[in-house]
Amino acid sequence: MAARPVTPASPKNVKVKTPAPGTPMYGCEHVQRLLTQGQEVMNSSISHYKMILRGIFDTTPIVAQTTNNDGRPVTSITSNFLCLQCPTTLDENERLNHGSKKQHRFYVDSRSGSLYCQMCDDLVWDPTFEDLRIRKMGTGSFSVFSFCNPELTGALCSLSGRKRKHEDLFSENDLRLINTNTTTASCRANGLRGIYNAGATCYQNVVLQSFIHNPLLRNFYLGDGHHDCSIQNCLSCAMDDMFQDFYAHETTNGFTAASILSAFWISEKKAFENLVTTKEQDAHEFFQFLAEELHERNGDGKKPEDGSEHNCDCVIHQTFYGKMQTATTCQNCLSTSNAVQSFLDLSLGLDNVNQKRKKKSQFSRPINLMDCLDEEYLNSDKCEYRCHGCNSTQQARRQTSIKRLPNVLSIQLKRFEFKQGGRDRAASKIDEHVQFPLQLNMLPYTHQSRIREGKENKELERSCIYDLMSVVVHVGELDTGHYMSYCRVGEQWFRFNDHKVEMATISDVLGAKAYILFYIIRTIT
Amino acid sequence: MDSSTGRAGLIRPRDDIGSMDKLAQSVLDDVLYNIISDLVMKTHREEKTAKANTAAIHIEKLASDASEGSTPDSKPDVRIETDAAIYEDGKVLLKGNPLQTTKDILCPKCHLPRLLHPTDGKGAKKPDPTVLYCKRQPFIEKPGCDIYGQSWVGPGPGRGKKKKDMEKKEDGPATPEQRPPNVLSFPSATCSKCKRCILVTRLNNHMGSCIGNSGRNASRAAAQKMSNGNSQTDQTPPSSQKATPAPGSRAASPRKRDASEDVGEESENAHKKKKLKASNPKKVILKTGKPNLNKKDSKPPSQLSQEHKAGPTSSPGETAPKKSTGLGMSPVKKLKASRPIPNSPLKNGGDAEVDSESSMTLSSPPAVAQTTA
Repeated sequence: MAARPVTPASPKNVKVKTPAPGTPMYGCEHVQRLLTQGQEVMNSSISHYKMILRGIFDTTPIVAQTTNNDGRPVTSITSNFLCLQCPTTLDENERLNHGSKKQHRFYVDSRSGSLYCQMCDDLVWDPTFEDLRIRKMGTGSFSVFSFCNPELTGALCSLSGRKRKHEDLFSENDLRLINTNTTTASCRANGLRGIYNAGATCYQNVVLQSFIHNPLLRNFYLGDGHHDCSIQNCLSCAMDDMFQDFYAHETTNGFTAASILSAFWISEKKAFENLVTTKEQDAHEFFQFLAEELHERNGDGKKPEDGSEHNCDCVIHQTFYGKMQTATTCQNCLSTSNAVQSFLDLSLGLDNVNQKRKKKSQFSRPINLMDCLDEEYLNSDKCEYRCHGCNSTQQARRQTSIKRLPNVLSIQLKRFEFKQGGRDRAASKIDEHVQFPLQLNMLPYTHQSRIREGKENKELERSCIYDLMSVVVHVGELDTGHYMSYCRVGEQWFRFNDHKVEMATISDVLGAKAYILFYIIRTIT
Repeated sequence: MDSSTGRAGLIRPRDDIGSMDKLAQSVLDDVLYNIISDLVMKTHREEKTAKANTAAIHIEKLASDASEGSTPDSKPDVRIETDAAIYEDGKVLLKGNPLQTTKDILCPKCHLPRLLHPTDGKGAKKPDPTVLYCKRQPFIEKPGCDIYGQSWVGPGPGRGKKKKDMEKKEDGPATPEQRPPNVLSFPSATCSKCKRCILVTRLNNHMGSCIGNSGRNASRAAAQKMSNGNSQTDQTPPSSQKATPAPGSRAASPRKRDASEDVGEESENAHKKKKLKASNPKKVILKTGKPNLNKKDSKPPSQLSQEHKAGPTSSPGETAPKKSTGLGMSPVKKLKASRPIPNSPLKNGGDAEVDSESSMTLSSPPAVAQTTA
């Protein structure tokens, strides 16, 4: 194996991460000794660690997984150890020998990048090193903020939803400003409360829960994003109150969404007239209603139009809206026309996918989300099209791809179908289980991947990775039933059934017959 | 791979299998090892970081106690040493492995010890009553309870269960019982328009009649509008308006928008037919319900459809999943359903007050009001 290049001394002197009150300065006494030997050792240790992390997270794992055993390369599936003080990769048995021979005491786990201290004989979670690792692992860069670090997301909630670099986030001034101007919420106020069913309102509750556990919306509302509002019965003010109730109060009892309900009743949205009843309704429609109403209260005042491109920097657009591009190619003259439109969510049909699969094979593998996405955003379909070039109606090929991915991707699975049978067709529910992943890579469905086909780009791929955040489930029939939802808080999942909140396992979540899925982007750049 | 198995040693291949099989099994064993190692590493990180921070919090507190008059923010100029850490020049340096030196975990926010086991349900341990713990406690996993160990009394007799009440009138009188503190009752909320206090489970229906247009007045207005000149009405097709009192005529299925988008006229009609048919057996309910309509000014027509959905006669397929979501339905809890009413005696006013009083003593399954939706 080639020796790692020696890094030239960095012109900038590295510093130890300033510890916040209540945290130690170093991971252990031995790391302390290493980092206090002098600036030179400090610089080389940090830059070496960064280089090792780049090797682990940016290149093929084979490099770090391969050791040189007397001139014979051995690649292992389990972890190797990379010496922090010299460019050597060792397996677990060789590590001790190397330590006593060279006096090198620190090693990096080849799979996770964690630091191991030979003298403690234990993994060490040093604030300075660990900070680098978390950032590299989550974002691929040493300076960008990532959602996968729960500690950081916690701190972010006191700041506005604006995108900030990690450094800004933790400047001394900000922290001081926060400390002097805010009261800390009780440790019990964790946002985990049920919402009472006010009479056939579970379709609202599930969507509200997914909003409450959406970090972007939470940051916006807790950061006083909606303020100085004088509109009577404003839905956004009601949301504001709700976020306060969930994250600032100690109550564990259910929440009564009275102000949201009355804003809902008072709203005069023409498009949603049929929704405003005392009956059971569609959660997806309620989601659309909330999005439009909140956009109107926070946005540029323009009505979001279906089928057009809408640019607005309100919290709802920043959170949920993406853009898709439809390219229609005339089969006669081969000219292509492009249309771009904004979307709040992706609605995926199940019946098409189902039929196609039945034709293809007898083995019935359960459908998964990617099948549905393939069908809609990868495969092209035929359509009739009035071609400008030919000046007549022609057969055309239409292909839709995603031009801009939203920060929170909402996916509706159209769980209804029309029974074939001549004139007597009735809508019915598809109760089939659709598999969906905890982690979703949207790269294949984007316009970018279409352009640079075949080229592998880690950076681009990283920016298309989503993590599952909430799942809305419908049980029962088409026109009557019950809604429940699952939401993730940190790494723990919870089941929200109106006022009742229970812990849920990942298999509970993945086994659910999802109706709406909310995925959140892993890194914000 | 010369060893007979992978790192985990969980899968031991038999001797009589081919070398490819052996290889496959040892790869699988290695993958298992990685999974276990990742899990352990995650827990190790959480635990060790928490304990290291605990050592730091502890010693910082000692330091600020030792130097009088210092503000909590300033860094006192003292040197303190404990088993786990050294405090010097305002810095905290660890001594030894925090996993060994530190027992408790202190909350980084309130600096109180964390409770490490749930107080009830799975894995429960009795907490030390003399210790003041951080309020963030492990969630409880116990059937019938939520993550805080709470459960709810039945939503109480209300509109949704009247017929059942009538059927089971002889089921026995209510005996008031003290309910434990972790059994909650449904709260009431104030209607933003009429400022009356309404039990939460009825809030939507109330607002429908108070703010919205699904009350009796609204249907009257609609009827009048229709008789005056019907061709202008835009949203609802006249055919369905005529059928207004019948449940389901407004086709409010959860997916109705999509349905109406894709199916034509004819399927919509079929849909309606089906619904009307389904509601036929419940016409009886409609009639028995009538006297109550007078009491409550504003019973919306939609209520009827809800009633029959939730009612005991509805198809088992529909209600079964909903019922299972109900709360613990012991008779004891049901009796407590009346609780919220004394809390808000006057404001409940005409809204079903009479019904709730009269049906309080009954003990039919209380799942009704909540099973809808």
